[in-house]
Amino acid sequence: MGAKIVNFLKQPMVRAVLAIAVLALVGGAAWGAYQTQRLPQQPIEFRHNLHIGLGVQCLYCHPGAWQGQSAGLPTQSKCWGCHQQIDRQTPELDKLAQYVEDGVSIPWVPVALMPDFVYFSHRPHIAAGVNCETCHGDLSKMTVAEPQKGMDMGWCLKCHKELAPEKETKLIDCATCHQ
Amino acid sequence: MSKKISRRDFLKLAGAGAAATAVLTGCGPASRYVNREPYTKMPEYTYNGKSTYYATTCRECAAGCGLVVRTMQGRAIKVEGNKLNPVNLGKTCARGQAALQGLYNPDRVQGPLKQPGRGSRDFTEMDWDAAVGVVAGAFKSYQPDEIAFLVGMAPDHLFDLVSDMAKAISGLAPVRYGALGMFEARATLMQAAEAVFGRRDLLHFDLAGAEVTFSFGANFMETWLSPVANTRGFAKMRQGMAGRRGYLVQFEPRMSQTAATADEWIPVAPGTEGLVALAIGSLVSEAAEGTVPPAYADVDLAAIAEKSGVPEETMRRLARIFANTSHALAIPGGSPLGQTNGLDAARAILALNVLADNLGQPGGVFINPPTPLGSNAQRPVSMREMSTLVQKMKNGKIKALFVHGVNPLFELPKALGFEAALVNVPLVVSFASFPDETAMQADFIFPDHTGLESWGYQRVLTGADVAVLSGAQPTVAPFYNTRATADVLLAAVRSVGGKLAAALPFEDEVAYLRHKLLDLVKADGGVYSAPEINTFSAQFQQYGGWWQKENSLGTIDSSRVFARSLSVAEPEYSGEGELHLFPFVSPILAESGANKPWLQEIPDPTTTVMWNTWVEMNPRTAEELGITDDDVVRITTPVGVVEAPVYRYPAIRPDTIAIPFGQGHTAYGRYAQGRGVNPIDLLSIMFNEAGDLAFAGMIVKVEKTGKRRELSRMEGRLGVYGLEEH
Amino acid sequence: MTEHQIPEVKADFSPEEVGKWGMVIDQDLCTGCQACVAACAMENNVSFVGEEDAGYGRGMHWVRIERFWEGEYPKISTSFQPVMCQQCGHAPCEPVCPVFATMHSEAEHLNMQVYNRCIGTRYCANNCPYQARTFNWYDYERPDPLNNQLNPEVTVRRRGIMEKCTFCIQRIRRAEDAAAAEGREVMDGEADPACAQACPADAIIFGRLDDPESRVSKQVRSGRGVKLLEELGTLPQVTYLKGGAGYDRNG
Repeated sequence: MGAKIVNFLKQPMVRAVLAIAVLALVGGAAWGAYQTQRLPQQPIEFRHNLHIGLGVQCLYCHPGAWQGQSAGLPTQSKCWGCHQQIDRQTPELDKLAQYVEDGVSIPWVPVALMPDFVYFSHRPHIAAGVNCETCHGDLSKMTVAEPQKGMDMGWCLKCHKELAPEKETKLIDCATCHQ
Repeated sequence: MSKKISRRDFLKLAGAGAAATAVLTGCGPASRYVNREPYTKMPEYTYNGKSTYYATTCRECAAGCGLVVRTMQGRAIKVEGNKLNPVNLGKTCARGQAALQGLYNPDRVQGPLKQPGRGSRDFTEMDWDAAVGVVAGAFKSYQPDEIAFLVGMAPDHLFDLVSDMAKAISGLAPVRYGALGMFEARATLMQAAEAVFGRRDLLHFDLAGAEVTFSFGANFMETWLSPVANTRGFAKMRQGMAGRRGYLVQFEPRMSQTAATADEWIPVAPGTEGLVALAIGSLVSEAAEGTVPPAYADVDLAAIAEKSGVPEETMRRLARIFANTSHALAIPGGSPLGQTNGLDAARAILALNVLADNLGQPGGVFINPPTPLGSNAQRPVSMREMSTLVQKMKNGKIKALFVHGVNPLFELPKALGFEAALVNVPLVVSFASFPDETAMQADFIFPDHTGLESWGYQRVLTGADVAVLSGAQPTVAPFYNTRATADVLLAAVRSVGGKLAAALPFEDEVAYLRHKLLDLVKADGGVYSAPEINTFSAQFQQYGGWWQKENSLGTIDSSRVFARSLSVAEPEYSGEGELHLFPFVSPILAESGANKPWLQEIPDPTTTVMWNTWVEMNPRTAEELGITDDDVVRITTPVGVVEAPVYRYPAIRPDTIAIPFGQGHTAYGRYAQGRGVNPIDLLSIMFNEAGDLAFAGMIVKVEKTGKRRELSRMEGRLGVYGLEEH
Repeated sequence: MTEHQIPEVKADFSPEEVGKWGMVIDQDLCTGCQACVAACAMENNVSFVGEEDAGYGRGMHWVRIERFWEGEYPKISTSFQPVMCQQCGHAPCEPVCPVFATMHSEAEHLNMQVYNRCIGTRYCANNCPYQARTFNWYDYERPDPLNNQLNPEVTVRRRGIMEKCTFCIQRIRRAEDAAAAEGREVMDGEADPACAQACPADAIIFGRLDDPESRVSKQVRSGRGVKLLEELGTLPQVTYLKGGAGYDRNG
C-alpha cells in the first residue's frame, strides 16, 4: 500500500501537479497576508499629520473613545464644521464638499479592528491614561491611518501585566476581554 | 420641536430624570423615523458602540405592556420592559421578547401587492399611490354601509381612526376581533359583571392582595387579559407579603401552565365549573350563616359532585379554605365561560367574590380605571356579532372589506363560513405585515409597518390600577416599503374629499395622534403634565405613554347577585363521541407567534413540545385506546377532522383531550406554514347566552390512524447525546 | 517565571468563599412561562435549530425550564425549575478542556468559554452534571434579515463550538464600565442578565454575593436555598429557593 503511494508520487505529472498546488497555496497565503497588511484605500486621503500638526486633538474627531467602546469615525458634518470656513481647496477637499452636497456619509474604512470574540472598550484605556499613539502608532507621521503590526493577545497582555501589576488579576482575566 | 429647541434643552424642559433611557425622536415630519446606519449627521447621542433606547408598546397581544427597545446604529437589538409603564413595570413575556423576530422576519410583505387571482399567491407589485387609489376608490364607489373594517383586538389609534371615519360617513362601525378574545369569552365576562355588579367591565382582580385565589379556568399567567400584570400579582400573592403565602387553586379539565404553578389543581369536567362554583358558594354561605341562603336553595351537592367529578369532601375542604380567609378571590376564566352555560357559570363564580366580601377590598374585585381618551373602547365582538358580519358578507351586503391586525381565516372557526362568505365580497384588502391566510385570499395587500416601526397608542383595558394609554413610536426606520395603515387611510380620505375629508383633516398618522392626545394634555393626575401639545407628545414618547399617578380603580359598592336564585344550567355539548375536546391557547405561540422561529423552538411549558401540535391524552385513556406517545390520531367532529400525534399527558381528565391553538397555518411564512393543526377547525358554532362561542363544549371521536410522527420535545432528551434512541 | 507560563485555569474555591456574581431562583414563584428562555436567546444570539435537531436534543437554549411531574392523576402536581450554567466555583467542565477554552475567571468568579480557543472536543459538556452546555452541531441558518437583531456585544458562534450561559457577561461589563467611569461600585440590579430582567414573576434575582446587603445575598440567607446536586461539591453560584411543596391547606 505504502509503496504504491510512493510510486504514484514519483510520476512526473503527479509531481508537477503537486508542485503547482503547493505554489498556489503558498502564493495564495502570501497574497492573503499581503492583503491584511496593505493600507486600505480610504475614500479621502485624510492627512492625520497635518491635522495633528495644527493642534487638533484626537478626541475632537473620535469622541467615542472617552465615551464608550468605539472611538467612532467622523461624519462629514464634523469635517465640514471647520472646512466650510477654510478657503483653501484641494482635490481631496472637493471630495468632502461632494459628500456634503450629496448628503451621504463618508465611507471610511476602519483600520484598527478587533475580532468579534474580543470585547474592547476605549473608555477604560483612556481613563487609565493610555495615549492613543500607544496602540495606534504615531499618527503625526502618517497621512491615512496605518494598521499597527502585532496587535495580538500577547501584546495586550504584555501591557496589562506591566502597566498595572496591582490590578493583574482583573487585567489578565479571560472574562475581561473575551465574550 | 427640532427646529427651535435643541434636544438637550428639550430634555431639561421635559424633566429628563424620569425616563432617561427613553430617548426622543424628533417630531417634524422629516425626522419622524430614526435612521438606520449610516448616520450622515450623527446625532450627538449615537456614539458608536453606545445604544439608544426607545420607549414603545408591545403589539404582540392586546394587553399594552410598555417596552424599551435597545437599538444600535439604527438596528433594533433587544426588547426590554419599560419599568415605568404600570402594566408590566419592566417585565415582558416570551412573546414580547420575540417581537424582533417579527420585525426582522424573512417572510414579511415588503411592499404593496396586488393579487389578480385570490389564493393564487401570484402577486404583482404596485406603488403606494395606486394603493391609496384602491382604498379611495372603494370609498367613492361603495355606499358607507357596504364598507366594513375588521380590525384586531387592541383598542388602539387605528381603531379610533376607522371609527371616526365610519362616524363621518355614517358607515358601519369597525369590528374588532381576535382569537384570544374568543378564548377569553370577554362578552360573557362583561355581561356577567353587569348582572352581578351593575357595571359592564372586564373587572380588575387584585391577585396581589389575595390570600386565597380560586381560578376557574383562567389561564391568567399565559394569555388571559394581561398575563404579565397577572403574573406580577400572583408573585406578590405568593411571596410578596411578609408572614403569609398566598394559595392558588385552579379548576379546569386540563392542567394548564397556570394550574401547574398553582398549589392545587382540581380536574373538573368541561362545562361543570359553574356548578362547582355554585356548590362551593353554597357551602361557604352555609358556613358563614349557618343555613343555606335562598339564592343557593337549589344546589344539589351530590349531583354536582357526580357531574363534575369533584368529590363532595374536596368541595367541602375547598369551601372551608375559601371561607376561613379574610382575602379570598374567585376569577372566571375563558373555558368555563366558553360553554352553553357560560353566563350562568360566570355569575356563579363572580358571586363567590360577593360571599368573600372582597368587593373594592384589597385582594378583591374592582372596576378598571376609566380608559383614557373616552370609552370608545368596547370589547371585541362576540362570535354571534361576528357571525352577523359574516352573514352580511355572504348576502353580498359588504362590497369592500378591510382587514387589519387580525387573521380571520386562521382565528375564526371554519364552521362560521368566513372563507365562503369572503367570495361574495368584491374587494378585499389586507393590511397585514405578514403573508397570512387572510392576505392570501385578498385582492390587495397593503402592508402596515410592524409594531416596532410604527406610531400609535393603545388603551389599557385591564391590568393596571391606574388609567394607562400606552404609547408607541418607531424604534427603527421601516425596514421595507411598508406604510402605516393610518397614513394610507388618511391619504385616501383626502383624495375622496367631501364630508370624510372635512371630518378628518389630518396630514398623516402623527398629526392624527397629536390631535387625539390633545384631550390628555390638560387631563389631571398624569405622571407628567405639559402646557401644550408639543411638550406633551415629546413626553408621551419619552415615557412610552401616559398614565395616572394615583390608583383610580373603581370600587363596587353593591351587588345584585342574590336578588334571585342562582342556578347553572346543564352544559350542552355538540358532536358525537366519547371524549371532550378542550382547545386551549398555546402559552408561547398564542394566535400570531407561529412565524417567529424562536417562539417555535421554545418548549411548551408543561409538555416541552416544540415546533408542532400535539394532542394531550390521559395515559389511562391512551392505554384503553392502545395509543402511545407520538401515535397520530384522527379527531372528528361534525364540522371538521384533524390528525395530530398524541402526547400522553398525566394531568388531564381521562374523559378529555386537549389541543393547543397556535399552529396549523397554511400560509404565514416559512416557520409557520404546514406545521401542526388548528383545533379551531373542529369547533361547531354554538353560542352561549352572551353570544360567545361555546368553544369548550365539543365532544369528539378519536381514532388511531396507525401513523406515527415523533414530536420534538425537550424532556427526556436533554444533552447532546440524548437519553432516548433516535 | 517564563513568559509563557500557563495561568491557573481551574477554579480553586474553598466552600467558605462567597464568590462574586450570584443568582437566586425562587421556584415558588417560577411560573414556567419561558420569558427567560426567550430573553436569553434574544440577548445572546443563540441559534434556533429547527424541529428535527431540536428533537435530537440539539436545541441551543442556554437556559431551559425543567418540568417535573409528581404523583399520579388526579393527585398530580408540577414544578418548574429553570436550569442554566451554575457557574460552579469548583467546575467539573474546566479541568477536562485540553485547550483551556473552558476556564475560570478569577476576577469575576465565572466560568468562561473562550470561543476562539474551543476545538469542539465536547469533553466539558460530557462532564457537566447540569447539562448546561450546548454544542453547535452545524452552522444554523439565520436567514436575512433576521441577522439584523444580532447583539454586537456577543460573539456569533459557529459550527463546532461549545457554548453556555455567561451570566450575560456583556451586561456585567457594561455596568462595570459605567461604574468605573463614574468612580463608583456597580449598583445592585444594574447588571441584571436578560433572564432576570424579563422574568414577570421576579423569580430570578441577580447580584453580588460578596455584598451582604444585595438582594441576592439576602435571598441566599433566607433559609429556603438549595444548590443543585450539591453533593457533587461543584459549589454552584446559583441558589434555588424551595417552597410551596408540602404546603397544604385543609381549611
